[in-house]
Amino acid sequence: MPSSVPASRDPGPSGEPPAEGLTIRFVLNGRTVEARVEPHRTLLWVLREVFDLVGAKEGCGVGECGACTVLLDGEAVNACLVLAGKVDGREVTTVEGLGGPEALHPLQQWFIRKHAVQCGYCTPGMLLSAAALLRRNPDPTREEIREALAGNLCRCTGYVQIVEAVRAAAREMAGR
Amino acid sequence: MPRGAVGSRSPRRDLLDKVLGRVRFAADLKVPGMLHLVVVRSTEAHARVTGIDVGEAAAVPGVVRVFTAADVPGENRYGIIRPTADQHLLAEGRVRMVGDPVALVAAETPEAAAEGARRVRVAYEPLPAVLDPAEALEAAAVRIHERGNLCFEQRVVRGDVDRALSEAAVVVEGTYETSRIEHAYIEPEAGVAYLEDGVLVVVCCTQNPHYDRRDLCRLLGLPEERVRVIQAPTGGGFGGKLDLSVQPFVALATWHTGRPCRLVYSREESFAASSKRHPFRMRYRTAADREGRLLAVEADLLADTGAYASYGLAVAIRAAVHAAGPYRVPNVRVRSRAVYTNHPFSGAMRGFGAPQVAFGYESQMDRVADALGLDPLEVRRRNALGPGEHTITGQRLGPSVGLRECLERVGRVRARWDGAPGLRGDGPVGVGVGAMYYGIGNTGMSNPSTAHVRFDEDGGFTLFTGAAEIGQGSDRVLTAVCADALGVDPDRVRLVRADTALTADAGATSASRQTYISGGAVLEAGQALGERILRRAEDLLEIPAEDLVIEGDRVRSRSLPSREVPLEEVASSFAKAGGMPREEGRFDPETTPLDRESGQGVPYATYAFAAQVARVRVDPVTGRVRVERIAAAHDVGRGVHPPGVRGQITGGVAMGVGMALMEAFDPGRDRNLDTYLIPTAADMPRVHPMIVEAPEPTGPFGAKGVGEPALIPTAPAVLNALARACGARIWRLPAGLEEVLEALGRGKE
Ligand code: FES
Ligand code: FES
Repeated sequence: MPSSVPASRDPGPSGEPPAEGLTIRFVLNGRTVEARVEPHRTLLWVLREVFDLVGAKEGCGVGECGACTVLLDGEAVNACLVLAGKVDGREVTTVEGLGGPEALHPLQQWFIRKHAVQCGYCTPGMLLSAAALLRRNPDPTREEIREALAGNLCRCTGYVQIVEAVRAAAREMAGR
Repeated sequence: MPRGAVGSRSPRRDLLDKVLGRVRFAADLKVPGMLHLVVVRSTEAHARVTGIDVGEAAAVPGVVRVFTAADVPGENRYGIIRPTADQHLLAEGRVRMVGDPVALVAAETPEAAAEGARRVRVAYEPLPAVLDPAEALEAAAVRIHERGNLCFEQRVVRGDVDRALSEAAVVVEGTYETSRIEHAYIEPEAGVAYLEDGVLVVVCCTQNPHYDRRDLCRLLGLPEERVRVIQAPTGGGFGGKLDLSVQPFVALATWHTGRPCRLVYSREESFAASSKRHPFRMRYRTAADREGRLLAVEADLLADTGAYASYGLAVAIRAAVHAAGPYRVPNVRVRSRAVYTNHPFSGAMRGFGAPQVAFGYESQMDRVADALGLDPLEVRRRNALGPGEHTITGQRLGPSVGLRECLERVGRVRARWDGAPGLRGDGPVGVGVGAMYYGIGNTGMSNPSTAHVRFDEDGGFTLFTGAAEIGQGSDRVLTAVCADALGVDPDRVRLVRADTALTADAGATSASRQTYISGGAVLEAGQALGERILRRAEDLLEIPAEDLVIEGDRVRSRSLPSREVPLEEVASSFAKAGGMPREEGRFDPETTPLDRESGQGVPYATYAFAAQVARVRVDPVTGRVRVERIAAAHDVGRGVHPPGVRGQITGGVAMGVGMALMEAFDPGRDRNLDTYLIPTAADMPRVHPMIVEAPEPTGPFGAKGVGEPALIPTAPAVLNALARACGARIWRLPAGLEEVLEALGRGKE
């Protein structure tokens, strides 16, 4: 059961909690959390600055690179484009909640095995886009994987091993 | 013997933390009490700075200090190639490009720093901007730097080109252009600085921490022991993180305020502040005999090096040396010039000019083939350099020349494609070839690497290397070389990497040099340490060292397999005797400088070779090009980590597809990844990477390198395929929709 943790404070620009703020309550990686933040803050900022979950990266800040991808109610979103107020009452999963060191998600396992990671900066976002894809389409074709990941830029790998890893994870998850 | 670590396909150790999102890149670091920085950058391409008013900015609540050039305590000049170093930490009375740093604001919060930066008033007196490299060379052109607008010129001259041209069966002539390209690593530059016991510590993404320290010391007027640079996990580099980025700003602000400071570039700032790939203009004349054997290559190369030299000199030289491709060419006349303009400065992006000239010389090779009615692969085969043959600088190649095998391997794949049904849709299809060679390491100069290996008290080992891991996998390569040099399990080898306080200078992670050069240093250190261990075991076992071997976790006798001693015991024997042994290894490949006039010499100790074939399909209505398949054969000497080699090849192919079809950085337009497009998963062809191993005797276990070679043949192969699909050639990169439609039109004529 998700447990409630004490409300986190948005330290605000001056280190004080923001004077004008809104309180949001949402489920973050399985636990209910609360934060008081200024309305213009993004989900990416909340994750990184309030909760110190830095797996989601900022690569562009404008919704083009996918490095900030997280799951919002199971759907992949660019956290840099989602205003904090929008997550109130909803469920957010970041890479830190995808699987732990002892219980890797099959996608994480196959990203390692297929050498689908080089610098690793795109990896958290890539994993979550792939997780969202497998949730709505457990048996994607190569083409469908490429389309689903087209919003996640990687400059290192050429995507070849990433697509292979997603296919392998899909097969494993379907018990094939 | 246990199976070696070199050649093993097991996964890299760093990937676990990466898939868990546990790696802290520099932007993820928070130092208590840190200040936030914002750089005020030039809005002018070329101007005198007549005044900087920081009064209003300094008064913004939260702003701690505003810096200008007057606050730079040391020499306000830096640049990776010392003789041409011409960049300023903060502008000194003049800006030469949009994005030049003018002032620096340090504040308690990012918001206050941004507000302060908005309130810095800079008065500019505009100067005429020079935006074309040819115009920059005209006598009347405004001088961007005191030394004139020619940054560097290199010639390569050999034989009698005029005679060869007059006697040739076929001469093809063409002018080619490539675009300015942004590195677009997904991690924007970031770093933090803080003081620790009087030492200024800078933690940042970088490809060369020891260079960073050198120039930080110059800028701040500090001795080396007062500055420590630690490489943070680095999210890609591709040459763009060789130049200083955030380092001098965080260092300067921390030095003056005593407070920790952090600077994280936005994507916009990364685009504005970082180096780009040199755009090239190339005029080529290629002469061949009736059989397609090359008689002469003449090339005139003009590279736009932008506002600052950065690696311009190295690019001009490397482009000249590689201008004729991996072929036997008896007569050569090459002139290569890097020229200043008021564009964003150009740097070392993956390949140092070699990808640009490959587009030129490989287009020419296809035209020679066409003129003689020969198969393009066959023409390359007939001219391909082999072991013992001479390059255009007069260098006699050693035994590690795998080009013919690369051509054969891609030829076999191409034969399988012939007649195979199209993958998707209709439209004309074309298949094209690209080949290349690439000298490993810096050109015609000493570029050593030093490494250390220590035997630890628990029987394990620690490898100390200054080589920056930027995602490409040098950690894995060097660890494997170390393990095999010792004969131990790689899990026993710990790694301390890229920290100037703990590791020796390994040189830059550039020029595809770390596997070959740092690998060589690690091999030497590992072997020396192994010998010391055997000599100690000799005492413990009372068996001569010559009969002993380290194997996995023990030392054993070769002749009496039952006689052995665990490494742990050897280690404690060292510990008791007063200290653990540590050995140094150093490798500096043998080169000679190029002659100033003729460009003759031995610029590199060894070369990587490669060939790729591409199949493209063109949509005749939209001009959209689909690269369907690429087969890529790369002679890397030895695949130290085969999955890593394949990863370099597929990543290089992606970058090559971008160079061929998509990427052209427009400084006036491109601020972010919404207009500057790089290949996505949906743009990628099926890639068939093939590792060819022609072992290099001077390389660690035969290895050479692959980082840059991976990219070089792709654009030529795609463009040669496109020429066949369209029936007409495209002379200028990238081949966008308009260019393709236009070529289709020409092809129908
Ligand atoms: S940072 Fe959100 S899409 Fe790039
Ligand atoms: S692994 Fe470096 S950006 Fe994807």
